[in-house]
Amino acid sequence: MSGVAWLLRIAAVVVLAAPVSAQDAPTEAITLPGGHEETKPPARTVPAGAKPKGTSKMCGVCHSEVRVKYEQGAHDREGIGCTSCHGGNADAITVGSAHTGGYRGVPARRAIPALCASCHADVTKMRFYNLPSDQYALYQTSQHGVLLAKGDSNAAVCTDCHGVHEIRPPEDPQSRVFGRNIPSTCGTCHGTPSFQARYKRKDNPVTDYRKGVHGRAYLTGASDTAPECTACHGSHGATPPGVGDVEKVCGQCHETAREYFVGSAHKQAMDDAGIPECAACHHSHNTIAVAPQKISTVCQECHDEGEPPLRVATTLERMIAEASEEIAKADSLVAQAASIPLYVEDYRSRLQDARTALLESAPVTHSLDTTLVEPHTRRARSIAATVSEEVDEKLSSRWWHKVGLGLFWFYLLLTAAIITRARRRAAADSKR
Amino acid sequence: MDPKPNDKRSVLTWIEDRVNLTEIISFLSVFGLLPSELDSRKRVREALGEVMRRPLPSYARWPHVLGILSFILFLFLGLTGTMLAFYYQPTADVAYSSVTLIARDVAFGGLIHQVHYWAAVLFLLVLGARVIRFFFTGLYARGREAIWMVAVLTFVFATIADMTGRLLPWDTAGYWTTIRAREVTDALPILGPITAFLVGGSGLDSLVLTRYYVLHIAVFPLILVLLFYIHFSSVRRVGLSRVDRAPGTRSLRVAMYDLLLLVLFMVGGLITFAVLLPHSFGVVADPFTTPPDAHPPWYLLAPHALMEAFPAFVPKFLRGLIPEIMLAAVLFLPFLDPESGSGTRRRLFRNVGIGVLLLWVVLTVAGWRLEVGR
Amino acid sequence: MNDDRTADPERRGVLVWLTRGFLALWAPAAAGVTTTFLKAPSAEERPGERQLKVGSLSSLAVGDARFVRHGTEPVYVLRVGETEVLALSAICTHMRCVLKWDREKELFHCPCHDGVFDRQGNVLSGPPKKPLRHYRADVRADEIVVHT
Repeated sequence: MSGVAWLLRIAAVVVLAAPVSAQDAPTEAITLPGGHEETKPPARTVPAGAKPKGTSKMCGVCHSEVRVKYEQGAHDREGIGCTSCHGGNADAITVGSAHTGGYRGVPARRAIPALCASCHADVTKMRFYNLPSDQYALYQTSQHGVLLAKGDSNAAVCTDCHGVHEIRPPEDPQSRVFGRNIPSTCGTCHGTPSFQARYKRKDNPVTDYRKGVHGRAYLTGASDTAPECTACHGSHGATPPGVGDVEKVCGQCHETAREYFVGSAHKQAMDDAGIPECAACHHSHNTIAVAPQKISTVCQECHDEGEPPLRVATTLERMIAEASEEIAKADSLVAQAASIPLYVEDYRSRLQDARTALLESAPVTHSLDTTLVEPHTRRARSIAATVSEEVDEKLSSRWWHKVGLGLFWFYLLLTAAIITRARRRAAADSKR
Repeated sequence: MDPKPNDKRSVLTWIEDRVNLTEIISFLSVFGLLPSELDSRKRVREALGEVMRRPLPSYARWPHVLGILSFILFLFLGLTGTMLAFYYQPTADVAYSSVTLIARDVAFGGLIHQVHYWAAVLFLLVLGARVIRFFFTGLYARGREAIWMVAVLTFVFATIADMTGRLLPWDTAGYWTTIRAREVTDALPILGPITAFLVGGSGLDSLVLTRYYVLHIAVFPLILVLLFYIHFSSVRRVGLSRVDRAPGTRSLRVAMYDLLLLVLFMVGGLITFAVLLPHSFGVVADPFTTPPDAHPPWYLLAPHALMEAFPAFVPKFLRGLIPEIMLAAVLFLPFLDPESGSGTRRRLFRNVGIGVLLLWVVLTVAGWRLEVGR
Repeated sequence: MNDDRTADPERRGVLVWLTRGFLALWAPAAAGVTTTFLKAPSAEERPGERQLKVGSLSSLAVGDARFVRHGTEPVYVLRVGETEVLALSAICTHMRCVLKWDREKELFHCPCHDGVFDRQGNVLSGPPKKPLRHYRADVRADEIVVHT
C-alpha cells in the first residue's frame, strides 16, 4: 500500500467519523391528524457535542445504517458502545483490527437473553439507572423463556420486543414497548396466522384485542388505564394465566366484580370444570362488556333454558331493564319540563344518583345473588320513579294555564260583545 | 283657581291650560291612527269629537286590515320587546341564563317571551301577505310606487330583524340557525359583505351577539318606524286603495271601535298561540357541537337551495345574484310595469308574479329537502 | 233609537256602571302583568352571579366534607383549614357517578368503578383520567359561599 493511499484512507475515516449533527440527521415525514405533512427531526436528537464520547464511532464508519438506528436508542445515550454486545475493538481504524479482541459478531439468537442479562441482571450495574434487574429471571419463567430453553428458536428473545440496535426506553412513544405500540409489537408474532398455526392455535389474539372493549378504549385514546397485552400477561414473565388465575388478573382493575365473583358459586364450579372464569362470559382477548339485556344470552352458552341458573339471569335482566326504563322515562319527562322551561336541576341531580345506583349494580351481578343486586336496582328505580312522579305532577299542574286561557277568552268575548254593541250604536248615530 | 278634584272636566281643563294636549294627540295622525291632524286651537274634547264624527268612506274593509294590523303588531312587539329588554343581557356568557330567568323565574315572563315570539311570526306573515295582496290587486302603479316599495322594504327589514332576534336567546337552535343563515348571506355578492360589516365578521361570539342585539332593538325598529311613517303619510296623500264594492260612509268613532276589536282579537290570538303552541326552549348553544338538524331559517331556504343545488359551472357570485335580482325586480316592480291596469299586460305580469312565487316555493322546498336529506 | 235606552233609567244606570267596571278590569290586569313582570328577582336568582350558600363554616369540622345537592352537578364542600374551604364537583370524571366521601382516609371514592380522588380532586387510582372540577368557594361572615 502506497503512502499516499494510506493517508487518503485516514483522511476519509476522519471525515466520515465526524459526529452526525442534528442538522444532518435523516428527517422523516410524519402525517399529523390535521392532514398536513410536516418534517421534523427524529425524536431525542442529542445536540452536537453534548454526546458522551463516541461509542459507535469507528464501527459506524462501515456499519453506518446500524449506527443511525443505534443513535436513536438508549444505549448510545448512556455510552454503552457496540463492543459491549459484539466485542471487538472500537478504536481500531482498519476492518481487520476492529474485528479482533473478543469479537463476537452477530450473537446467536439463543444466547441473546443471557447476553443482555450480563448487564441487566446485574444489580450493581442497574442500580444507578434505577432499572429493575429481575427481567432475566422473569424471562426464564415465561413461556418465551421456557420454549427457548427447550430449543424452540421461534420463542421471543429480548431483541424481538425491544428492537436490535434501536432500543428505546418504554416511555419513548416511538419505542416498540411503549404502551400503545405493544399490541403491534406482540402482534408481529401472535398476530400472524402462520405463526399461530405453528402452535396449533386458530385464534388471533391481537386482532381480537383490537376489537374488544379494552383495545378500543386503549388504542383510540379514550382510556389510558385500559390494559394492553402485558397488563394481563406480564411482560418479561409473559404467560397466559391459568384457569384459576383469570379472576386475579381481571380483578386487578375490576376489584368489585372480582370480590363478588369469588364469593359466587361460579368460582369453584368453573375452576373444577376448567372453565376460564371471567373469560367464559366476557371472552379473553375480544373482551365484551355484557349488556344488561344480553345477560341470559351469555348464560345460555352454558346453561339451558328453564334451569334455575337461567331464571337468575332473566331476573337480573328484568331488574336492570326495569331500572333503566324507569330512568329513561324520567329523563324524557325532565327534558320535556326543561323545554318549557321549568326548574329541573334538582331532578337531574337525583337522576344522577339513580344512574350511580344502576352502575353500582353491574359488579354485584357477578355474585349471582339477586337479593344482593336488588337493593341497587330498586334504589335506581325508586329514585327515577319518584322523579317521574314529581315532574309529571308539575307538568300536569299546568292544566290551569288552559283554564286561564278559557277564562281569558270568556272575558275577551264579553268585552268584544260590549264593544260591538257600542260600535253598532255609534254607526246608527252617525247615519242619523 | 284650584280645580275641584272630583270634577274631571276641570282637571282636564287645568292640564289643557298648560299643555297643548290637542297637538300631542294630533301626533297620532302621523302613524295613521287619526285620518288628519287635530285643530290645535281647540280643546281636546271638542277637537276629538269633531274628528270622530267626521264621516269617512267606509271602504276600509277587511283587505285593508293587513296594514294597520302590521303596525299594531309592530307596536306590540315594541312593547313586549321593551319588557324583555329589562332582563336580557347581551353577552354570550349570560344571555342564555338571562332568557331562562325571564322564561322561568319572572312572573309572566314565559308568557311575554312566547307572545313576543308569536307576534314576530305573525308580523312577518302579515307583511308578506300585504305585499302579495298589493301585487295581485295591482296596487303598485299610478302614484302608489312609494307605498309598494315601502311595503317590500318593510317586509325585508322585518325579516332581518326576525333573524337578529333568533340569535339572542343563545340557545342551540338560535345559534345554529344563525350560523347557517350567515352561511347563506355571506355567499351573496353585494348584501353579504354589507351584512358581514354590520354584524362584525363571520364569527359568532359575544361581540357579534351584542351587535345583533343593538340591531334588533334599536337599528331595525327605527328603520321600521321610518318606513311605517312614510307609508302612512303616502297613504294620506294618495288615499286608501279602493275595493270593488260601493263605498258608504261611517264615522271615525266606528272605525276606532273596529280597531279596538282588532287589537283585542290579535292579543287574544297571540296569547292563545303562546299557551297552546309554546316555542320549545332549547339547551344553551355549544359552539363545538353542531346539532344534526341545524338549518337556515325558512325565508333563506330558497337562496340556500340556489347556492347548493345549482349546477356547479355557474360561479357562486352569479348564483348569489339571482335572489338579489329577484328582490330588486320586486322592489322596482312599479317601474317595470307602470300601467298595472291594462288587460293583457296586467295578465302577463300577474302570471310572471305567480311564476316567481311558485319558483320561490319550489326552491324553499328544495332547500328544505337539501337539509332533511343530509 | 233603541228601545232599551228608554227603559227603566235606574236599572240602565246600574248596567252602564257594571259594564264600565267590567271593561275597566282590563287596566289593572294589564298593569298587574306588567308590574309583576318588571319586579326584579332577588340576588340569588340573578344570572351570572349564582351563589350557593351551603351553611356555616363553624358547622363543618376541619377536614370534613359536606355534600351539597345542586343542579346537575352536586358539590362537595371541604373544610381544609381554619378558614380555608374547597368546593369540588361530586361527579366522577369517569362515568359521572356520584362520589362518596371517605371521612377516615380523606378520599373521594367512586362506588361504580373504584375511582379514587384525593381531597384536592386529583385522581389517585382507578379509571378516571381527569381530576374533579373545582368551584370557587369563600367564606363570608361564617357563611360558606360557592360560586357556580
